[in-house]
Amino acid sequence: METLSYLGQGFGVATTPFNLFTALCGTLIGTIVGLLPGLGPINGVALLIPIAFALGLPPETALILLAAVYLGCEYGGRISSILLNIPGEASAVMTTLDGYPLARQGKGGIALSISAWSSFIGGLMATIGVVIFAPLLASWAVAFGPAEYFALMVFAIVCLAGMAGNKPLKTAVAAMIGLFLSSVGIDSNSGVYRFTFGSLGLSDGIQFVVLVLGLFSVSEILVLLERTHRGQKAIQASGRMLFNLKEGASVFLTNLRGGAIGFFLGILPGAGATLASAVAYMSEKRINDQEGTFGKGDLRGLAAPETANSASACGSMVPMLTLGVPGSGTTAVMLGALTLYNITPGPLLFQNQPDIVWGLIASLFIANLMLIVMNVPMIRIFTKILAVPYWALVPAIAIITSIGVYAVHATTFDLFLMIAIGVIGYILRKFDFPLSAILLGFILGGLMEQNLRRALSISNGDLGILFSSPICWGVWALTALMIVLPMLRGWRRRLRTVRAGG
Amino acid sequence: MIYQRVFLAVLLLVCAILAVIAFGYHAPFSYEPVGPRAYPLLLLTLIMAGTLYLLFRPGTITLGEGDEHLDRHVLAKITLCVVLFTIFAACYEMLGFIVSSFGFAVLMGRLYGGTWIASLIGGVLMSIGFYWLFDRILDVPLPLGILSSLEF
Repeated sequence: METLSYLGQGFGVATTPFNLFTALCGTLIGTIVGLLPGLGPINGVALLIPIAFALGLPPETALILLAAVYLGCEYGGRISSILLNIPGEASAVMTTLDGYPLARQGKGGIALSISAWSSFIGGLMATIGVVIFAPLLASWAVAFGPAEYFALMVFAIVCLAGMAGNKPLKTAVAAMIGLFLSSVGIDSNSGVYRFTFGSLGLSDGIQFVVLVLGLFSVSEILVLLERTHRGQKAIQASGRMLFNLKEGASVFLTNLRGGAIGFFLGILPGAGATLASAVAYMSEKRINDQEGTFGKGDLRGLAAPETANSASACGSMVPMLTLGVPGSGTTAVMLGALTLYNITPGPLLFQNQPDIVWGLIASLFIANLMLIVMNVPMIRIFTKILAVPYWALVPAIAIITSIGVYAVHATTFDLFLMIAIGVIGYILRKFDFPLSAILLGFILGGLMEQNLRRALSISNGDLGILFSSPICWGVWALTALMIVLPMLRGWRRRLRTVRAGG
Repeated sequence: MIYQRVFLAVLLLVCAILAVIAFGYHAPFSYEPVGPRAYPLLLLTLIMAGTLYLLFRPGTITLGEGDEHLDRHVLAKITLCVVLFTIFAACYEMLGFIVSSFGFAVLMGRLYGGTWIASLIGGVLMSIGFYWLFDRILDVPLPLGILSSLEF
């Protein structure tokens, strides 16, 4: 019950008028920054830290501001994923799968409001989860060693291929390409330069922003060119901007499942949010996709990754606060902000400075609330993006994309690399290879190799370590199930068609 | 179908070349059992296996709604767009952000069906507006290039 009183205290701090106003400003700034392709929560949070410090905001207000900007950016990223098919960051990749088709059907407003609502539910569930499970969580995160992580990554990749349904092999190849791309650059364990061909620009590896903007932004620009050539116009969002009760009810169970998955995977440091949104989408597709509507604009396919995402955003605060391990780039920046205020995250934070921890959790919740309060009335404005004619929209996207890429290293090499990746991405897209699989493979790839090598270093090369703990067994069993189930289903379907034909 | 096979064959070839390169990776001294080459080699082998299978059984390509097969006009336009992009990238630091993005925005605007007047206005607004927004407000440094004497 102690936690409840701390939480109450946290809310007491977060709901003062000044802090509420700060949260409102934070979500607004965050949404706008997140909306720009290539600029994500890392930029948003990093941008505001010096400002918060310069304004002399007290620590709790600064934390509220940062949490609000973080969630605002996450939501802003959804807008460009849904309306333009350009995910701003890794965890928004799954959102494009059903969000963009919805926008193409003219349901952009409904998609945005469902996304906001799902995020809210996810955040709410994760906040409740943190309150209930906080003490247990730290030990759960520690129980995942390198071997367990490796198994989990393999599971995610296998899920991804199984999810694709009609083209599992192409998805698998795409994911492998992504995994491979992550090995470009200097090898951190041995210092060997891999696949850099003597280029200085590649020695640091391929940057995530360069890959995502090349694959999605540049290839989307080329696809838009095709559409312009055929005289197609953007399909504007028409009619309702808000989802109705029936649509809300149809995604409610999805929300609950996505929230649970997101919360528990979000606790894992590393690819938490990305894994969470991918796994939530895939499991939802498994459960609900009898009519084959997923990927063509199914509201449930949009709600699942969105809920999981926002739940894991709250969940990812847990390893940061309890272990001092930042789970993502954004939490790493927030960690920096905490140390600016002389708060050292780590195992003792929950005991020594509970007010900060619970203040942060309460402010995440408030920020979620603010998002829905502020963004739902603004959906009509956001969907106006679709009304911008291509001759103005495309150059704008292209220039902002180039700025996002240039901002990483301030070299033109990255620009050329982005164009090359974009052309290859366009070709892959034409041949029906899912680009989202490449991206997910790329994100998981670095972690996968590191954890595999770490595990084998621990066991001195004995592969047995990959099968040595109950968590490993569980994950491997799930992986096997994921491989066998689609095969079984395909075999049964073939049997049925043979029987029907005979 | 034939294009897809050509593409897959090229992919296979690239993977094979990369695998040969990867085979030479060797850590001068090592304190761990897995060297730098095992993981990329494993993945390249898997990609090649998958590509080989697809080469023989490519399956059908499902077109998205409103998409059609490419004809020569579209292909020419797409090439032009990529060329524009490349020139833009090449001029980015040399001419500076404002000048290069102005030219790029005007030509891209024309390519995407805007009139000269509209593209010109769009180009002016975007190049100066984005420079101001990103460099001045959002603290993303952008090169000024030939306009660097105007630095204020």
